[in-house]
Amino acid sequence: MKIFLLAIAVAVTLRASEIRMEKAGGGYFFRITDATGSEDFTVSVDLPEAPTMLGSVTREGRNLQFSPRFPLTPGMKYRAVWRPSSGKSQSAIFEVPKPIVAPSTLVTSIFPSSNQLPENQLKIYIHFSAPMAKGEAYRRIHLLNSNGEEVLLAFLELDEELWDREGKRITLLFDPGRIKRGVLPLAEVGGALTPGGKYRLVVDSGWLDATGLPLVKGSEKRFAVVAADRQSPDVALWKVAAPTAGKPLVIIFAEPMDEALLHRMILVRSENGTEILGEVKVDAEETRWSFQPNTAWTAGNYTIEVDAALEDLAGNKIGRLFDVDMLDKVDDTQRTPKIILPFAVR
Amino acid sequence: MKRYSIVVFLAAACTLSAASSLSVGKAELKSAGQLAFNPQGILFVGDAMGGAIYALDTDDSKASAGVAVDVKGANLKIAALLGTTPDQILINDIAVNPLSHKVYFSVSRGRGPDAVPVLLHLDTLGKFQEIALDKVKHSRVELPNVPSAEGRQGANKRMEAITDLAFVDGNVFVAGLSNEEFASTLRSIPYPFTTADKGTNVEIFHGAHGRFETNSPVRTFVSYKIAGKPHLLAAYTCTPLVKFPISELKTGQKVMGTTIAELGAGNRPMDMIVYTKGGTDYILMNNSSRGVMKISTANLEGYEGITKKTDITGVPYETLAEFKGVEQLDLYDSTRALMLIRGEAGSLDLKTISLP
Repeated sequence: MKIFLLAIAVAVTLRASEIRMEKAGGGYFFRITDATGSEDFTVSVDLPEAPTMLGSVTREGRNLQFSPRFPLTPGMKYRAVWRPSSGKSQSAIFEVPKPIVAPSTLVTSIFPSSNQLPENQLKIYIHFSAPMAKGEAYRRIHLLNSNGEEVLLAFLELDEELWDREGKRITLLFDPGRIKRGVLPLAEVGGALTPGGKYRLVVDSGWLDATGLPLVKGSEKRFAVVAADRQSPDVALWKVAAPTAGKPLVIIFAEPMDEALLHRMILVRSENGTEILGEVKVDAEETRWSFQPNTAWTAGNYTIEVDAALEDLAGNKIGRLFDVDMLDKVDDTQRTPKIILPFAVR
Repeated sequence: MKRYSIVVFLAAACTLSAASSLSVGKAELKSAGQLAFNPQGILFVGDAMGGAIYALDTDDSKASAGVAVDVKGANLKIAALLGTTPDQILINDIAVNPLSHKVYFSVSRGRGPDAVPVLLHLDTLGKFQEIALDKVKHSRVELPNVPSAEGRQGANKRMEAITDLAFVDGNVFVAGLSNEEFASTLRSIPYPFTTADKGTNVEIFHGAHGRFETNSPVRTFVSYKIAGKPHLLAAYTCTPLVKFPISELKTGQKVMGTTIAELGAGNRPMDMIVYTKGGTDYILMNNSSRGVMKISTANLEGYEGITKKTDITGVPYETLAEFKGVEQLDLYDSTRALMLIRGEAGSLDLKTISLP
């Protein structure tokens, strides 16, 4: 009799359900073995009053599997609970391993690259070596004056944060309210930048990349502020150097231009209007644009097509200032969307 | 009342065609940002990453009276539902279905470029539920002139953030902000979406003190009738409140708005709603650093804009001291507003409040 009872006890023990967290196909899922009679198997983050996590439950014979809707978060604890149709519910807590990885993301460049910026500087581009996390940009970037004091609300803070698709470049806009003439903020708190002043743009090392790791190190750009630029870029002052065999086409501007726009607002066309494809290089503190075609130049007439929306550092477009003084009676009807500059390859 | 007069007319005109323009399938949103409803309960979602606007029929068009909402730690609950920590989610926008009075949320799960867009609603039991997007009645319209992912010289870094979305008079209005050139883009896209009509694209300028004009980006806007004519009231990223008639928004035209108020320095307007109380219309606007403003709409038609350099006043407004940390605002019903409020220790609390 005793032996018989023991046999039953062993059988019950062997048949007891067990909850496991397992890894498959790069993600984790939860499994309970030998869970018959009830499909009530849920997982939640291991916090008080946490709602059931999104996911799906599937049955495989005597086992149940919970597949989370989203990948689990490393370092986080999860509680899996199975509630049988009768009797005590069973639960287990699991922690997702957090691999120890050293930070590897860096600021690779900051534009404009000049260390002299106009008082009405409009944009700053910060490039990173890897995708970054959204949602903390404005507390990770500081503009400091020469006394080391932070210039408050220098930048336009947008919930959307102006990233590129890859999350590797952020655009900062100086608050236009502190640049534009004739508006209340400028009268009330003044501009963010003062001519003659020296500033540091500081990027905190604590800014997290898309994997949740901080930057390898912080970064800073020092610059001095010069008088406001209230002149539209003057195409007549540009120097176009027609290419010779194997050499790029080069344009030298009279002032630094917006780095990002230079990469896509200047096209080269052949005499019949076909766009010539090639590689654009911007250097010399954004005062030089060079274009190397993918296939060698052939002799003939070409045109450079410049989008009039191309901006200088202060956001002045060709033929249109960032803010137009209407008392100057600017004739806006003369504005053309494109400027055509001819050149020839001999 | 003025606000609804347009809407009722539309309800009759659009119901049939709107429903038939949607097809069942997977709505492949690349991101979920700004939200807006039309009067039939169609949810519009701005997908900046995908350069598109989605119209979704979430099968939630049954009229129901609103109940008071009070959810503490909405961000903590949403993060737990999505199986992660609150710092790994972003609540991008909230919107109230005008028929069911259910609250909808657009959320990013993750914070990098591969964050997963998630749409949720708060059910009548106060629980967050995911809106399944794999078999949903929807249609999609691509925003015109949005740069493709591939540029001439490799990856195109240009993107356009969608800063606001609203349904006005049969059109979806979309305010955008480029991460490269500085320009204001306001698009009006007729709904139901058709491939033939991708809408108009206008540049909006506004004069400051009648002297300097710029085309800076619109941050948030509402529709409002001034002297019987539908207008958009737009709050700019650099504080002016500007009015312009909707009838002037035509493709390729330069539209000059009139600055009717200057709302202060170091501030960024976030959301605006229009409501009627005691027979008077008001605008309620939450701001990044200047609290919640109640703006009178009395005599907007008579307001000709700031004309002298020394004028720094405009339409009168009152800052409501009782509201602090309001990050999102929407009209809940005729007597209540819905607010998402930043509370202690990073908790975001959702609640309805009586319209002030």
